[in-house]
Amino acid sequence: MTPPGAPPLLFDRRAVRAHRTRAASRCARVAPILEEAAAWLLDRLDDTTRRFTAALDLGGRGIVAPLLRARGIATVACDLSPRMAALSGGPAVAADEEWLPFAPASFDLVVASLSLHWVNDLPGTLIQLRRALRPDGLLLASLPAAGTLASLRAALAEAEVALCGGLAPRVAPFPDLRDCAGLLQRAGFALPVADLEEIALDYAAPMALLADLRAAGESNALAERSRRVPPRGVFARALARLAGADGRLKVVLPMAMLTGWAPAPGQPQPARRGSGQVSLADVLRSPPEPGEGDGASDGT
Amino acid sequence: MTTPEPVAVDPRLLEILVCPLTRTTLRYDRARNELISAAAGLAFPIRDGIPIMLAEEARPLED
Repeated sequence: MTPPGAPPLLFDRRAVRAHRTRAASRCARVAPILEEAAAWLLDRLDDTTRRFTAALDLGGRGIVAPLLRARGIATVACDLSPRMAALSGGPAVAADEEWLPFAPASFDLVVASLSLHWVNDLPGTLIQLRRALRPDGLLLASLPAAGTLASLRAALAEAEVALCGGLAPRVAPFPDLRDCAGLLQRAGFALPVADLEEIALDYAAPMALLADLRAAGESNALAERSRRVPPRGVFARALARLAGADGRLKVVLPMAMLTGWAPAPGQPQPARRGSGQVSLADVLRSPPEPGEGDGASDGT
Repeated sequence: MTTPEPVAVDPRLLEILVCPLTRTTLRYDRARNELISAAAGLAFPIRDGIPIMLAEEARPLED
């Protein structure tokens, strides 16, 4: 579906879909991690007095939709893979996050827990989600942030260069926290906020990290990935290097937590430019001592 | 008795789904268990009650 002349696509969406379909039968293995990630996100619902009635769970891997329904919110689950979508029970749809099939103002809440990082056109997806929201509807999304798997990426690069004399991309790039808030703003969300939460993982056997990634549907789907089977030693060497002296592997999953609201008239708005009645310079200037002039000398 | 009915699609979905390519409304073909986008010329299948709104899975409509 790429028009000619378009920039090359970062992710192979067919591979993303295949990985999610394969993961549908395995992701119970990583349910505790997915549940922790979802809890971080859904906790934010308690920070608002708003009541939500119609939610979209995007890529919740059978974990998020039941949690939303337990809160009494009617929820539609959506996934690129029909088998993954089916895990959520209840109303479910298979759809491409880049081509969402929802009418405007269908939901008052969209939750995307660690599911938007394989999307090629993230700004486009965010715009589509904003349109699918009713005015004053809330988007809650988490993405692996820059730094995720950074040590794995470095260790794999080192091992692959040492063993193969060459290098193929094996870990996807992740967005910087600052970029996330900007993305929300560009997509037209009001009151955009991006902050960071972390999940700490501790593996007794380093190779279990790879098994978990596969079980979560997080296998490499970079368009430029190597199609060749890597020499067996590459992953073993990289993971051995990552493990601590005790043989355990500790990794931190930094998550960019994104919240943004679909614009509505009643929301707090920034004041119109030039509408201020007080000079900011006057406010910032230290209050003048009695008898002193206009505080031209602000002796510190 | 009769052969089991295919899992019915949730009526709430029919209210909110539009064609992902053209963003136009869809027609539900109960007999074929498909969602028809006349604008895109595609019929999206419904499997086990799950609408498959993927262009590569849709059936081109013969005109």
